[in-house]
Amino acid sequence: MSSSQPAEPSARAGSAEAAATRPAAATQPASAAQPASAAQPASAAQSASAAAARSASEGRPSRRVSGTNAWRRIAVLAVCAVALLAAVAASLALGVRGMDPSAVWQALLAPDLTDPDQAVVLQLRVPRTVIGIAAGLALGLAGTVIQGVTRNPIADPGLLGVNSGASLAVVLSISFLGITSPLGYIWFAFAGAAGAAVLVFAIGGAQPVRLALVGAALTALLTPLIALVLLRDTEAFNQYRFWAVGSLTGRDLSTVAILWPFLLVGVVLAASLAHRLNLLALGDDVASALGQRVGATRALAGASIVLLCGTATALAGPIALVGLVVPHAARRLVGSDYRWITAAAILLGPVMLLAADVIGRLVVPNSELEAGVVAAFLGAPVLIAIARSRRVAGL
Amino acid sequence: MRVAADHPSQAPVAVADVRAVVAAARGRHRRRHILIVVAALAVAVALALAALSFGAAAVTPDRVLAVLFGGGERLDRFVVLELRVPRILAALLVGAGFALAGAVFQSTLRNPLASPDILGIAQGASLGAVWAILGLGAGGAVVAGFAFGGALVVALVIWLAAWRQGLHGIRFVLVGVGMSYVCGSTVAWLLARSDVRQAQTALHWTVGSVADVRGPELAVLAIGVAVGAAAIAVMSRVLPALALGDDHAAGLGVRTDVARLALLVLAVAVVAVATSVAGPIAFVALIAPAVARRLVGGGDAALAASTCVGAVLVLGADVAGQFALPGFTAPVGIVTGVIGAPYLLWLLARTERTSRA
Repeated sequence: MSSSQPAEPSARAGSAEAAATRPAAATQPASAAQPASAAQPASAAQSASAAAARSASEGRPSRRVSGTNAWRRIAVLAVCAVALLAAVAASLALGVRGMDPSAVWQALLAPDLTDPDQAVVLQLRVPRTVIGIAAGLALGLAGTVIQGVTRNPIADPGLLGVNSGASLAVVLSISFLGITSPLGYIWFAFAGAAGAAVLVFAIGGAQPVRLALVGAALTALLTPLIALVLLRDTEAFNQYRFWAVGSLTGRDLSTVAILWPFLLVGVVLAASLAHRLNLLALGDDVASALGQRVGATRALAGASIVLLCGTATALAGPIALVGLVVPHAARRLVGSDYRWITAAAILLGPVMLLAADVIGRLVVPNSELEAGVVAAFLGAPVLIAIARSRRVAGL
Repeated sequence: MRVAADHPSQAPVAVADVRAVVAAARGRHRRRHILIVVAALAVAVALALAALSFGAAAVTPDRVLAVLFGGGERLDRFVVLELRVPRILAALLVGAGFALAGAVFQSTLRNPLASPDILGIAQGASLGAVWAILGLGAGGAVVAGFAFGGALVVALVIWLAAWRQGLHGIRFVLVGVGMSYVCGSTVAWLLARSDVRQAQTALHWTVGSVADVRGPELAVLAIGVAVGAAAIAVMSRVLPALALGDDHAAGLGVRTDVARLALLVLAVAVVAVATSVAGPIAFVALIAPAVARRLVGGGDAALAASTCVGAVLVLGADVAGQFALPGFTAPVGIVTGVIGAPYLLWLLARTERTSRA
């Protein structure tokens, strides 16, 4: 198992030690319930094994532990849901144009487009909020599935070559087909993202490390091709550079209206995979010994990743770090059971992307920073904090 | 390790026999390594001679040789000595530097994906350079200086953020990935809000090119890569121990954190120098060590072979970039990506076994 991981986690962060020295870790059923297997180096893998063992066996002590934990996790999810509501409210109410909260309320209940405030809310802020929710959800969930299926803690849509695939397709559509509107890009972005993901899974196939390597290789192949087109075609570059930042603006609700079926299927697939990912965290051999058809899991996970990444990139352009940070944050909050991680990621993805968008509106006077830029700046400290924590480890 | 694999089922033998077997295996391995290095150097010389002759103004090989031995016509001397030799030297040095640093990164962090591209250093340099070009309207040495500064600042931030009672591979890689996304997003944002022509110049820098490297920059590059390589060569004897894992390395008497830190600092310095001169040439640091390890075999870091393979790779890519597309000289960074990535993909598609690649 350790040889299949790209980087071995620190042997020091053994879970017994973590449980002994860190109060928060004691709430983990894994580290509390499994004192004996300290020989395993990967504490998170160990947590996962404990979680799966717990869900498999119905022994009384572990059930009691999981009972108290379930309440804690539900509380965490409730907090996440409140955060999501707050983010939505902020996204509707805050912006370059200051306005009374009552105007926002009015716009939602009894729309009056002649009022300029209400028009801003309805025509600008509602679409970007909806797009932010959809794209954030897709990214967070995609990241969760990717990390689960590759067992690679640095796996995210960007690393699997999805963003570069979408970028290349958009660049080609601008340069050779003369398409110039975000609405026109969406199918190219979707096709590019999906094509890249399919290619990566086709070559990377069964092996986690290989999947990540193939993704990196594909990115390394496509990035210079993109640059090649852009260096020769100034006009295409001029169009592309605004898409490449990653933003929730300049699109209207019709993009969501077109793409929601893909999103829905992707979400349902990802949610139904959560239990399979728990078993997969134990390694392919153990998972198949426990009766799981690992190949089928990978195929389904691949399909959901393709759908989710394609939707997110088509909606908002290439957005960095949301897909990487959200699963890590969710894992920190609710433990290593993928059923809970999935639920938390569904809430946290939109929170993060909407927060990035709102902050981007407020941080520069009378102007906006694109959500993609802010998301990177928001995500990096979170990622660093997670990386610095004791329990950082393989998955 | 290798000996055990070669002779899995031998009956117990005398200690002297075992020693002889080990020595023979080591000798074979070393000879193979040296052979690869010599072969790579030969290819590099051949490529260099070809690169000296071909180009917009063709200089026949005999005239090239005449120039190199101090003779030749004035125009030939200008084309060969002023234009082509610096470019070739820059390609060789940059390739060597990237590949050596990549090999050090990958073996020290025990992650085959670890490379300056993924660790945020290339992006830090890009951010510095793009900032200098678009924010300050600078060019030439100022851009190189900002790139160097950007690379070092980002490397420092990654270190400070990843340091916690030592430097552990996964923590370092995670922080590096985060920082590289931050820098990449900022570069994208800077490109989007500037004049499109200037932005294109900046984009050109971020692809990586050795076309415009001249005297002083070349000297800095040569000194930086040479000093860094010498220091890494001295330090590299701890690598086999580090490859066993921290605990085993510590058991063998290696101060793992100190050794890893020293090696990484040296690798970052080499990458920063190379990147500031030539831009972040994609993929060399990732692919050259992988190729070299595959050629040499035996699972060690293969630093010397990596260095030579990297030099050949960049020079070959630069030559190819000048002739691949009619009417457009592709920057070397585009070519390295386009020829390097399919190789890695093919390699991955072919091998069934993935240990630490």
